[in-house]
Amino acid sequence: MSALKTDFAGEKGDMFALALKTGLLTVLTLGLYRFWAKTRLRRWYWSAVRPGGMGLEYLGTAHEKIMGFFVAIIALAIYIAVFNLVALEVTVEVMHGGISPQTLILAAIPLLGFPVFFMARYRTRHYILSRTTWLGVRFGMDPGAWGYAWRSCMYWLLTILTLGLFWPLKTYQLEKYLTDRSWYGTAQFKQHGHPFMLYGLAVPFLALIAAVLYVSYEVGRIMLADTQTLEELVYVSWLSLSYFLLVPLIIIAGIYFRVASIRAMACRKELGDGMKFEFNPKTRKLLRIRFFGIWLTSFLLSFVSSIVLGLLAGVMILLGYEVDASLIYNTPPGIAILAGLLSGLLTFILWTVFWHAFVTFPSARHMAETLVIEEPALLRGIRQKQEERRSRTGLLSEALDVGGAF
Amino acid sequence: MQESIRNPDFAAKLALAYGEMLDGIRPALQRVSMRLVGEGKHAELHMRNSQTQENYVWPVKKLRLIADQSRNDALVLAPKEGAAARLVIRDRHAAMELLKAVPRIPSLGRNPGAWPKIAVLGAMAAMSLAAILFVLVPHMANRSAEYIPPQAELALGDTAYQQFTAMMGATECKSDAGDAAVTRMAAAVTQGVDLHMPLRIHVVDHPMVNAFALPGGQVVLHSALINAAETPNEVAAVLAHEVGHVYHRHSTSATIRDLATFGVVGMVFGDYLGSSVMVGMTNSLITSSHSRAAETEADEFAHQQLTRGGLPPSALGDMFRRMQAEGSGQDLGVMRHFSSHPEMSARIEASEAAGLGSGAGPQVLNDAEWAALRAMCN
Repeated sequence: MSALKTDFAGEKGDMFALALKTGLLTVLTLGLYRFWAKTRLRRWYWSAVRPGGMGLEYLGTAHEKIMGFFVAIIALAIYIAVFNLVALEVTVEVMHGGISPQTLILAAIPLLGFPVFFMARYRTRHYILSRTTWLGVRFGMDPGAWGYAWRSCMYWLLTILTLGLFWPLKTYQLEKYLTDRSWYGTAQFKQHGHPFMLYGLAVPFLALIAAVLYVSYEVGRIMLADTQTLEELVYVSWLSLSYFLLVPLIIIAGIYFRVASIRAMACRKELGDGMKFEFNPKTRKLLRIRFFGIWLTSFLLSFVSSIVLGLLAGVMILLGYEVDASLIYNTPPGIAILAGLLSGLLTFILWTVFWHAFVTFPSARHMAETLVIEEPALLRGIRQKQEERRSRTGLLSEALDVGGAF
Repeated sequence: MQESIRNPDFAAKLALAYGEMLDGIRPALQRVSMRLVGEGKHAELHMRNSQTQENYVWPVKKLRLIADQSRNDALVLAPKEGAAARLVIRDRHAAMELLKAVPRIPSLGRNPGAWPKIAVLGAMAAMSLAAILFVLVPHMANRSAEYIPPQAELALGDTAYQQFTAMMGATECKSDAGDAAVTRMAAAVTQGVDLHMPLRIHVVDHPMVNAFALPGGQVVLHSALINAAETPNEVAAVLAHEVGHVYHRHSTSATIRDLATFGVVGMVFGDYLGSSVMVGMTNSLITSSHSRAAETEADEFAHQQLTRGGLPPSALGDMFRRMQAEGSGQDLGVMRHFSSHPEMSARIEASEAAGLGSGAGPQVLNDAEWAALRAMCN
């Protein structure tokens, strides 16, 4: 059997219609429908991605999402009552000492969120995989959120302390940790390659970081000296100008590294004994989609409040009120609040709809179309894995929308 | 073929069509022929793989439809809830015939049995949310209002003031003589009080009879309120009440409370309320919807300060009663508050009984100062 190419079978217009419909329902139900909206949009995307012509299927349900959400609210109440209140009382006590350790404590609280964030990330992946099937066979993931959380914290710390030097290693090790615990039916995924294999891709990024460091060192050296000559000042201003070039380049090099590393690692994944993949999303294409999508979305949304105000004026005229320019230059508070609320709701719906149509949809299509599965004959050796007890662990993070790309 | 005679149409049309089946065990498509056997509730969908000679029987009443397919090019069915097997019918004709024979196939994942559980969890979540919003957040807001760094409180207050002026289209009024009158009045009502930060009083040009306090030691007086007052003492009484809010940091804790509340509510309802957050927050400050306890504290402060400054506390009541008689302004803030405070009226009557009528006695400003204050926004 030859390699399986992947189709993306779906039209932008259909996605637009589904996103608009579910967005309207979400607003009409005061947000309650969003669990169904998310489920339905995922089912749509999953069924559009068709390796070898057969779509994936998303098995997650709105019911489990809403229950996970309720549990999250209960957990939040307990968390606030136990943790925040105690932290506040402690802060207040310490405050009587004089200085401001309160800022220290307040600053430390978000740090505690990091392990939780990484655990949530692992569990979101776990949740998504365990609710995805292809050809009637489920994906799955072994438990391992704690291990992922402390590794993530460690590698992130090293990366920040070394100004990015550990980034390629971190990317490889964390992705390997996730991949090696993933399954398709009875076949396990394996990440091949070398821990340092991503350094080549990070050369532009690291070189630019080095350039910034050099520029900063030069600027600091000259400016901290007691006197500066005119030539030195000219030199410093040229150096400072180079920041404007270096910083956007660093961002682009960083995005390039992310996409290229995903590409490189996908091509070194193995499923079972010998199934390989090719995955070639293009950085330039993804960047173009994103920039264009953000620009178009913001451009279209910028008209919302004026359209709402215009419609309100129209309604007022129909109801027999006299409307003149003072409605716009000196809007009565009642109208301003109504217009604000309506614009807010409309902006929310349209933001979701446009974002799906102009960013998520084209990105998903591009990525799907670059996926190739090699040696599909080896699928014959794979069977459905005994159903694990349906994990609910991922639901909490799912409910709070941590790391949910779609 | 015997049974299928009962569905002769369907049998005839389906006989030519094949479906693709996934058995939920192997990741492989099987080509199967399909026929519908039996009728009504007991009908069954029979499938046969002619290569392996294997037969599959799915009872029709348990069939589930896989909804939200990205492209309408196939009908995808599951044998029952929770099953991994799938039947994919790409032949449009066969799919339509099947849907005609079995008109109502529920979607997969529609599980009515889950609702009681959802309801119980939902009730618990609602109680937790109520506890967060009405117990935990107010408590934390009150506690942290006392310890918020002054710069943060100033920043909060400045933002709120800017939003107020932008939203209500109000402009700040300035005049040297008017400012001096305001300063004099402020000094009279803050005698012997140690405020946590300097008082800043804004007089703004606005046709609504209103006054309110903002974080960062700010009090806003509308020109309409000053014009509606008959004596300087009436304005001083309103000012004393608002300074009471500043003294007790009500606006700061209200802002912290609102921020936290909107944060929690935003999370619960999804992000889409976020954009209306600022509108609602500024609104709640302007209409100064403080709690009853907070209003009573501000009243007590005003009563104490006016008495200390030798001014009649009943001035506040006089002003309110006149506004009520004129039928204007009660809808907002400080005015609305009196209509719901019988104990205040009682106290006013008590002070009037003590011979402290507002018309009589010394005024906080002399005639020239009073005129300057009233002319500030002209």
